Amino acid sequence: MNPIVSVEGLRKNFGKLEVLRGIDCEVETNEVVCVIGPSGSGKSTFLRCLNLLESITAGTVVVNGHKLTEPRPDLNRVRQDVGMVFQQFNVFPHMKVLDNVTLAPIKVSKHPPDQVRERAWALLEKVGLTDKADVYPSKLSGGQQQRVAIARALAMQPKVMLFDEPTSALDPETVGEVLGVMKDLAREEMTMIVVTHEMGFAREMADRVIFMDHGVIVEEGGPVQIFDDPQQERTQAFLSKIL
Amino acid sequence: MTFYFGDILPYLPILLKALWVSIYVSVAAFVAGSIIGAPLALAKAGPSRLLRTVSSTYIEVMRNTPLLVQLYLIYFGLGQVGLNFNPLWSALIGMTLNNSAYTAEIFRGGFAAVPAGLREAGSALGMSSVQTFRYVVLKPGLRAALPALTNQFIILFLYSSAASIISLNELTSALEDLNSETLRTLEVFTYGACLYYATSVLIAAGSRVTEKVAFRW
Amino acid sequence: MFAEFGVANLRPLLEGAVLTLYLVAMSGFFGTIIGLVFGMARVAPFAPVRWVAATYVNFIRGQPVLIILLFLYYAIPLMVPSATFARGPTAIIGLSVYAGAYIAEIVRGAIESVPRGQGEAASALGMGYLLRYRYVVLPQAMKVAVPPSIGFLISLVKASSLVSVINYVELTKAGAIVSNLNQEPLVTFLVVAALYFALSYPIALFGRWYERRLV
Repeated sequence: MNPIVSVEGLRKNFGKLEVLRGIDCEVETNEVVCVIGPSGSGKSTFLRCLNLLESITAGTVVVNGHKLTEPRPDLNRVRQDVGMVFQQFNVFPHMKVLDNVTLAPIKVSKHPPDQVRERAWALLEKVGLTDKADVYPSKLSGGQQQRVAIARALAMQPKVMLFDEPTSALDPETVGEVLGVMKDLAREEMTMIVVTHEMGFAREMADRVIFMDHGVIVEEGGPVQIFDDPQQERTQAFLSKIL
Repeated sequence: MTFYFGDILPYLPILLKALWVSIYVSVAAFVAGSIIGAPLALAKAGPSRLLRTVSSTYIEVMRNTPLLVQLYLIYFGLGQVGLNFNPLWSALIGMTLNNSAYTAEIFRGGFAAVPAGLREAGSALGMSSVQTFRYVVLKPGLRAALPALTNQFIILFLYSSAASIISLNELTSALEDLNSETLRTLEVFTYGACLYYATSVLIAAGSRVTEKVAFRW
Repeated sequence: MFAEFGVANLRPLLEGAVLTLYLVAMSGFFGTIIGLVFGMARVAPFAPVRWVAATYVNFIRGQPVLIILLFLYYAIPLMVPSATFARGPTAIIGLSVYAGAYIAEIVRGAIESVPRGQGEAASALGMGYLLRYRYVVLPQAMKVAVPPSIGFLISLVKASSLVSVINYVELTKAGAIVSNLNQEPLVTFLVVAALYFALSYPIALFGRWYERRLV
């Protein structure tokens, strides 16, 4: 099958600091990939290279047919195909929930407003927030804001969804509602790459788990293999500390 | 020594008219200064090295020289080379140019205060930098800048008194005239002080109302 | 135009600049004392003290400097008929009162920025009000107070130009006198502006350097 994301020899330096030291990775359409690893392993940086929020120092990255490493990639076109959900939600505080969701499809994709609003309502229904459509984000809990952020990203009809530790900043009570939405998304066959510490989610929903440490992929495989039978020492060390 | 505050009361309308001059000169200079300040802020933070240098130099010069000297330069200095501006226009031009340097820095600070995460969210949704600025940064940035803008407006209003020195008939010059006429220095200047103070309190209150109305979130 | 300006014109301006520095130093000094007193009074445990300090500070900050200077200039000879107040002291008193109110606000903000827990820990150790402030609160507050104070120092340099209206011959007044004599206001005041810039810009640079050091 033709992978929708293809990464070869990806390197990323921040000045002299080598954060990514040669990542090779392929993600197939409809695959759910979870990336785990200790802080500083470069997992978020890796994710952010996939929509060019971080520039790529060396290597080749192709996402949905866009070559991210060509000299002047069309950033905005690439990002319309790749959705991102942030750890800090980053919902726009000065707009109501519905407007948060409809803004980009109308202004960036230039889709007709009526269609966009219909789509937005459907998405809000999907994440369970139709009663909050007319509310400002400051009135919402963290979990609710994150669900708005997911709806906002989905409104662009992306081919790939990137999740950067989506539940790390949430109170424990609200983590479940966000994971629930993500699980629905996975079951609907969205291609997802999720950086997370939620091992339960990874075990349940991932098609593949990647363990990263010190800027390289140490081990990857199905969730059963990684969690129950890790081959590498570093993987074993990491998992024993958190499980 | 006895004080006769009541003696000044009949002159209050004159003082209020003069206060009005102070107010509208300040408002005009503030608005015009903000309109100039916004592109100035963008120039200073922009890609063009020439624009960055020019705008930075302008801002540093205006902020490190007194308004009074700037007014003298426009009123007397330009008059020497044939550009004769009357006191009103000198005050308007001088205060506008002076204010633009401060509002440029305030806008810059306000927009910089918008969290980087919001900008990233805009980029991640495919927005160009212009779109990100217009839809994500502008409103929250203005809200962040509002306290500093209010402060700057009050300072500008209080500094409009300097224009009395170049013969503009605003409140301070009216107070000086009244003082020489009635010789009731304490009473006259107390009225003046209270008028200035009351206006600045109203400006601050107006700003809080603006915040509630325009920035409802 | 500039070449003709010459030493004869420059000298009185430089003398004016020296007086400006003198004014700023004196009113900065007295203003700091006033500011410390009123700033601490603004956060004092006694409500009446807080109220009086707040009224004074807010009222002065709601005035143009010019009004304060003019008032003192006209009113002091009336109130103290024996002394013919020299312009220098009037100017210094006026600028000090102005500076005191602004510095009081800076001090208040700085004190409030010190976490409450610090004062509470000091109290728990048995330290009284003065000891607490002297050894725990003020030292921490003063670090925070430096950047805005440097910014205010620049404002004070600019405010000193208004003293020209009571005929004290600091830099601006010197400029007015000189330009009257040589009929060249454009060049004269450009030089005056340049001198102010030379006084104030280094302070601004120092302030930015200091702030960077704090981070």
